[in-house]
Amino acid sequence: MAGTEGDQFLKQATGRNTRGMLRVIILCLIAGAAVSSRLFSVIRFESIIHEFDPWFNFRATKYLVQNGFYSFWDWFDDRTWHPLGRVTGGTLYPGLMVTSGVIYHLLRFLALPVDIRNICVLLAPGFSGLTALATYLLTSEMVTSPSAGLLAAAFMGITPGYISRSVAGSYDNEAIAIFLLVFTFFLWIKAVKNGSVFWGALTALFYGYMVSAWGGYVFITNLLPLHAFVLICMGRYSPRLYVSYTSWYALGTLASMQIPFVGFLPIRSSEHMSALGVFGLLQVVGFVEFVRTQLPSKQFQTLLRALVLIIFLVSFGGLVILTLSGVIAPWTGRFYSLWDTGYAKIHIPIIASVSEHQPTAWPAFFFDLSMMIWLFPAGVYLCFRSLTDEQVFIVIYSVLASYFAGVMVRLMLTLTPIVCVASAIAFSQILDTYLDAEMPKLEMKENGTSEPAKVAATAILPDGLRSTRSPLIGVYSYASKLTVVGASAVYLMLFVLHCTWVTSNAYSSPSVVLASRLPDGSQHIIDDYREAYYWLRQNTPDNAKIMSWWDYGYQIGGMADRPTLVDNNTWNNTHIATVGKAMSSREEVSYPIMRQHEVDYVLVVFGGLLGYSGDDINKFLWMVRIAEGIWPDEVKERDFFTARGEYRVDDEATLTMKNSLMYKMSYYNYNALFPAGQAQDRVRGARLPAEGPQLSTIEEAFTSENWIIRIYKVKDLDNFGRDHQSAGAFDKGHKKKRASKRKGARVLRVE
Amino acid sequence: MRWLQILTASVIPFTALAAKKPFGDRFNDYRAKSLSSGPLKLDDQAYAQLTKAPRDYSVAVLLTALETRFGCTLCREFQPEWELLGKSWLKGDKNAESRLLYGTLDFVDGKNTFQALMLQTAPILLFFHPTVGPNAKLDSQPAKFEFTGGPQSAEQIHKWVSRQLPADVPKPVVQRPINYIKIVSVTTAILGVITLFAVAAPYLVPILQNRNLWAAFSLIAVLLFTSGHMFNHIRKVPYVSGDGKGGISYFAGGFSNQFGLESQIVAAIYGVLSFATISLALKVPRIADPRAQQFAVFLWSGVVLCMYSFLLSVFRMKNGGYTFWLPPF
Repeated sequence: MAGTEGDQFLKQATGRNTRGMLRVIILCLIAGAAVSSRLFSVIRFESIIHEFDPWFNFRATKYLVQNGFYSFWDWFDDRTWHPLGRVTGGTLYPGLMVTSGVIYHLLRFLALPVDIRNICVLLAPGFSGLTALATYLLTSEMVTSPSAGLLAAAFMGITPGYISRSVAGSYDNEAIAIFLLVFTFFLWIKAVKNGSVFWGALTALFYGYMVSAWGGYVFITNLLPLHAFVLICMGRYSPRLYVSYTSWYALGTLASMQIPFVGFLPIRSSEHMSALGVFGLLQVVGFVEFVRTQLPSKQFQTLLRALVLIIFLVSFGGLVILTLSGVIAPWTGRFYSLWDTGYAKIHIPIIASVSEHQPTAWPAFFFDLSMMIWLFPAGVYLCFRSLTDEQVFIVIYSVLASYFAGVMVRLMLTLTPIVCVASAIAFSQILDTYLDAEMPKLEMKENGTSEPAKVAATAILPDGLRSTRSPLIGVYSYASKLTVVGASAVYLMLFVLHCTWVTSNAYSSPSVVLASRLPDGSQHIIDDYREAYYWLRQNTPDNAKIMSWWDYGYQIGGMADRPTLVDNNTWNNTHIATVGKAMSSREEVSYPIMRQHEVDYVLVVFGGLLGYSGDDINKFLWMVRIAEGIWPDEVKERDFFTARGEYRVDDEATLTMKNSLMYKMSYYNYNALFPAGQAQDRVRGARLPAEGPQLSTIEEAFTSENWIIRIYKVKDLDNFGRDHQSAGAFDKGHKKKRASKRKGARVLRVE
Repeated sequence: MRWLQILTASVIPFTALAAKKPFGDRFNDYRAKSLSSGPLKLDDQAYAQLTKAPRDYSVAVLLTALETRFGCTLCREFQPEWELLGKSWLKGDKNAESRLLYGTLDFVDGKNTFQALMLQTAPILLFFHPTVGPNAKLDSQPAKFEFTGGPQSAEQIHKWVSRQLPADVPKPVVQRPINYIKIVSVTTAILGVITLFAVAAPYLVPILQNRNLWAAFSLIAVLLFTSGHMFNHIRKVPYVSGDGKGGISYFAGGFSNQFGLESQIVAAIYGVLSFATISLALKVPRIADPRAQQFAVFLWSGVVLCMYSFLLSVFRMKNGGYTFWLPPF
């Protein structure tokens, strides 16, 4: 309504072409802003891969570029998960690597030899520009207002909720997946609106691309069927829906099954059953609709409706039985924990241990979405005004994604697009209403006469929203218009400031390189990680096995190029628990474990000197818990807490804690840095025991500048066959204690 | 160690020959008793007799305090699980191959035992390994299970008990009795709901198809979830807490921390802001009277400004480094 008025207003002023031109320019500028706001980290630090997972993606991309597509597809990686190895080609989502590989070869074909690392670093910002475009397209399908799409694109371009996973260097699956998510939704809406096989097939194509890129594709797999299902329940079945859904489902499922990691999951696991179920339901409904048009008897129609219901219930029961009997795999832990929120904590500590799987407190929502968080419900409400098929989609998406984002911090990413779309709808509605230069005329007074009948009618059958019952008039005074438009402009500017501030402060640190400020305000770079990884690369044999907690597996593989025992692809819980056990046990227990796994070096992260809180002692309890899950009799979490239930590292730490390999490795020789008895742990604010721990089976090999990374070499077996404790005691000059003194006459030894 | 092996080896045929060994009898006696009642109800004397040193069977004893005056809710919660475990073990192990007895010692009946063991807390589960026989353990101290992790299910205790036993012994699984009452009541309830729906359909369907109702429902859901309700639910945060000076602190310190009331306040702020936005967008342009419209515009703009400013000030409280603000607050 307001939109068409705006259109007319624009039509009077400028031609169609000019408006199109303006729109293109604005979109290009938005894309430019989206890309450039993600470059903080490149400018401040350097063009470097961030975090943990991206290092694996980078390594895999390099492998793809060097060895070609087919050997990448069949890649068996023997340098991770030593000694098991990993069927990497069959257990990853290849979309990201293949995308960068294609870009790399394309640029080479154009005679632009760009380093693969730079492509990987800049892939996420590049795709964020495309995401802004896709958001524009999606929003334009939702409402008639021309400004909503552009606003949504601008919101999407700079909102921190999306920037958090797409700054330059964060080369993760989400980098391209969010673009694919939004674009698939756009194509789906287009397909539902037009009922065309063409758009349905395009949806399937991009859905297939999405499946190859991110495990979050399950969100689409369940949201589209839910949309179709709700439309059927609302009595809005139409041939358009039938055509678009069936063409998407048939082609999309085939496409998704081409990915080795997904394989036959679409027909064998509960996550995909809703899509299959709705596919079946649509066939039944379609058939019944067809019959109904042929036989218009009233009783027969009731019968048909009952038939649909019965078939639906029977097949639902069948699904439940198949799941219980094990033919269809039940929900996997990661997805199941979204519904039963206490599940992961009890059964899969490895999922619960990841910080991005924690529930979201409200400040995180505001931090990531700012003003949009309260525009969002208003936008959803506006969708109820006319509630077309595509606006139903917005409503479903909003409610579901809000729930998921509340349960897991990480899923804020799936919420962000719809928040941008909905708040742009609300905001553009306000702007369209108050930026209208025309004044309404003061002649609507006679409306009151026909009111009573109308009011009674709407009270009995309210088909619209309460707030849209009376006719639209417009805004009378310039003062009102100026107030609202001025305030909106201020809020928008505040939004931009907020986004820039959050991006610059919270999301642009590579976490491989840490930055701190010196007293004089200049920046000081702490580069311990790379220092240590390059030490490993240059000073250890090519196949030296490094044991560390799984967080650092990908970085060691990527930067140090050394085999690791466990890494961030946590596919084998037992193997991780083994490492956890080695870290949390006494040296006498750990040493055989390390020998059995051919460990040459052990790497720990220690933040006590610098006050770096993400270190291994703080993660230690998760190692203990995961180990306890497999060896409940040998590792007990209780033993690491003092009698009063505190987790301490100072004098009062429990004996188990003090004797654990992790504690010893973290604090070995640490008190040598301080005057006697003054050793201080700056993370936990604890004064350490005067006498530091002693190591016998491993020896210190390297400690980085700020002590963040400490590397120990595992000693070989003793030459004389002694155990390491007694060998160490002998070296120190302690006399060997004999259990019982042998007595008796001396006997001459004879050969 | 060798001599012990020889000793035990020499004992085995002896036990087989002499059927009337005192402790062999003891096991059968107690087992016969427990067949009727599930885990044995022990007192000091029975406990001492059951766990006396030469025994060729294992005993799992739960030391508990069931009476309400001790205020041990954990004991009472765990008791049915414990009985279920004891019963299903007895049922599954008909030939007594595991040679395991279950017993319960209530504090009322066994004060002396509690004192002798110097127990301060209940419940505690003790597992006595056999001292003679093929599965004997050298360590005469019983294994102890402490209920630090809160109430345990029968399956979890079953797992722990199974670990104490040697691998080749049968370990019957816990079989929960089928709850017929629950099945019947659920079926009745479902049928009742269907009937009610069928009868009341003419009245219910318009309500179900009411757009305002669904709009309200969706908005409430969105507001709840975006204000961190799931965080409260999962982390079980306190509703409010004192500020140490006798007052109430409404907002928790720290960025990733919140109180129950806090998230409700935030939801209310979001709700007011959204409502004001909706009013500005939909209601105000529909007001026919120019003066009333002017007033409404100023009112709602003022509400948005104040609320947003308040929200920013609350957020500054949560996140120390945040610098942005709006006039009133």
